[in-house]
Amino acid sequence: MRILPFEYAVRNLGRSPARLLLTVGGSALVVLLVLTATGFVNGMQAAFVTSGRDANIILMGSGSEESIERSEVSMQTSGIVAASVPGLIKRAGIDAVSPEAHVAIPIKGIGEEGTMSVIRGVEPPAFLVHDEVRVIAGRPPRSGGNELLLGRLVARSMGFDPPELAIGTMLEIDEDPYEVVGVLEAEGGVAEGELWTSLTDLMATSQRDSISCVVVSMDDAKPADIEAFAATRLDLELIAMPEVDYYAKLSAFFRPIALMVLVTAALIAIGAVLGGLNTTYAAFASRVREIGTLQTLGYSRQAIALSLIQESLLAAAIGTLIACGLGAWLLDEVVVQFSMGAFGLRIDAAVIAWGLGTGLVLGVIGAILPAWRCLRLPIAESLKAGE
Amino acid sequence: MSTPFIQCRELTRTYTRGTERITPLDKLDLDIDRGQFVALMGPSGSGKTTLLNLLAGIDSPTEGELLIGDTPVHSLSRGRLAAWRADHVGYIFQLYNLVPVLNAYENVELPLLLQSITRQERHRRVSNAMEAVGITDRHKHYPRQLSGGQEQRVAIARAIVTEPDLLLCDEPTGDLDRETATSIMDLLQRLNRDEGRTIVMVTHDPATTRWADTLLHLEKGRLLEHEEVTT
Ligand SMILES: Nc1ncnc2c1ncn2[C@@H]1O[C@H](COP(=O)(O)OP(=O)(O)OP(=O)(O)O)[C@@H](O)[C@H]1O
Ligand SMILES: [Mg+2]
Repeated sequence: MRILPFEYAVRNLGRSPARLLLTVGGSALVVLLVLTATGFVNGMQAAFVTSGRDANIILMGSGSEESIERSEVSMQTSGIVAASVPGLIKRAGIDAVSPEAHVAIPIKGIGEEGTMSVIRGVEPPAFLVHDEVRVIAGRPPRSGGNELLLGRLVARSMGFDPPELAIGTMLEIDEDPYEVVGVLEAEGGVAEGELWTSLTDLMATSQRDSISCVVVSMDDAKPADIEAFAATRLDLELIAMPEVDYYAKLSAFFRPIALMVLVTAALIAIGAVLGGLNTTYAAFASRVREIGTLQTLGYSRQAIALSLIQESLLAAAIGTLIACGLGAWLLDEVVVQFSMGAFGLRIDAAVIAWGLGTGLVLGVIGAILPAWRCLRLPIAESLKAGE
Repeated sequence: MSTPFIQCRELTRTYTRGTERITPLDKLDLDIDRGQFVALMGPSGSGKTTLLNLLAGIDSPTEGELLIGDTPVHSLSRGRLAAWRADHVGYIFQLYNLVPVLNAYENVELPLLLQSITRQERHRRVSNAMEAVGITDRHKHYPRQLSGGQEQRVAIARAIVTEPDLLLCDEPTGDLDRETATSIMDLLQRLNRDEGRTIVMVTHDPATTRWADTLLHLEKGRLLEHEEVTT
């Protein structure tokens, strides 16, 4: 098949700058929307996947399996676990047994009214158990000092970029002043959206006498060993759940939200495409006589359709590249706050691929229907158009 | 006697719109010899454009046969027709129909892009065609920068650049003033006499028929008379 010069498609783009702007802007918006939605779902999933470690078992109060925040476990549990379950990881004299309090309370200094945030009271073993967590600036909180280790995303959502600038900031938790002494990173895990402090300080501030859970890391121990421990120590009212399962459940809980986000994005995108079809159709329809002339000269309908698709694809590609650039620059790691923490939008190669794919489909679909409507006219009729 | 270049046998074109049937061309028999310059006249709606479109292979007859050269044009598929048009037909429109985003040179070059020839050969042919119509100094001009007469010259250059046997013109001077029309008619006559191109021209203007050697009258889809015009 002999095709029209690519140049022809390029110059046709310039025929109506307003329409070009509309097409480029429209496709950029649709692609940005798709990037945001897929980045959202991607970030959410990554947070849950990263946070669940294969070697970890969470011991929670029986009957509150669905939420650590609602779980209550006796303070002595961690000591008893360390003494009774052999085969747990031990490093430099520290047992990988981490007693933790997960509390969701509003923190003054974050947001206007004090945003609901997850604050986690921990002891040093927490860093052994949650080995994805690294202190990237400052130091871990010391007990008794009302000190905070800020998740990277929390620092960012407070406007600190780079996040280490947050060090030295004073925050208020339940009317107790706390000082930020460090920033943590967790490979995208949920901890990045939390504030960590010393367990004893948090217990004092929140006036709790029980902790939320104990997380242990197994070395030779088998999950069954820990389950057996929980089953035999009825007095502690514990249940043992692999950390992976816990986050898988959480992930399943949020799946409908992820689905809703994707469906909404898809619906808006389809709406935009339908709107765009009219614009493209108007652009092609105003050239029906020219299309008839090209056919008279001997160009096949396929050749002309190809040129129209090139034209539309070119406009969509410009919009898509702008959107992907903006997306990678502005959307990546944007903090999404939700009831139980925060996670960052994650614009990685896969998400960008979705954006590029959307732009491609937009360009082709957006041209095929209008092109078909213009090209299905008999040539003799096309030649009369606009007379 | 040699066989005619164009043979129409009971050529019929019927349009159906709902229950209404219009037959702008009704069992037309017509022979045109190679090298003839035919002027086609007739009242509005008499089927002139319809006939021209059939001869050009951009429309297909409902019934009847159309032979051009050795080609049974009436039986070609859509794709074959397109290829046949590219090689054998030059079409000249009343309103020029130049592509606005291409300059004069590129407009003339357009039909050559469908042929397997080298760049140099293409350049040579475009230059020749533009010289033949007298617009060598307007290569880089876009259609909107040309006068109507110049636009029609570019359109004629585009029609003859593939060196087709058959030139079809639908009111080629319909939109031009008398003086410009005269020069365009002179040009068509030269293409006919010097290069032997067969021309079928639809016209409303009796003055333009004196350049033709044959005048045909169409009325309600039938030929009225066959009359030689003395030149
Ligand atoms: N696509 C079509 N559908 C239905 N009827 C058509 C179509 N094209 C042409 N006709 C009809 O065919 C008849 C002949 O049309 P045609 O264009 O051949 O006339 P014409 O002789 O060229 O007229 P004019 O001098 O005004 O250009 C007209 O009655 C017209 O309405
Ligand atoms: Mg007509």
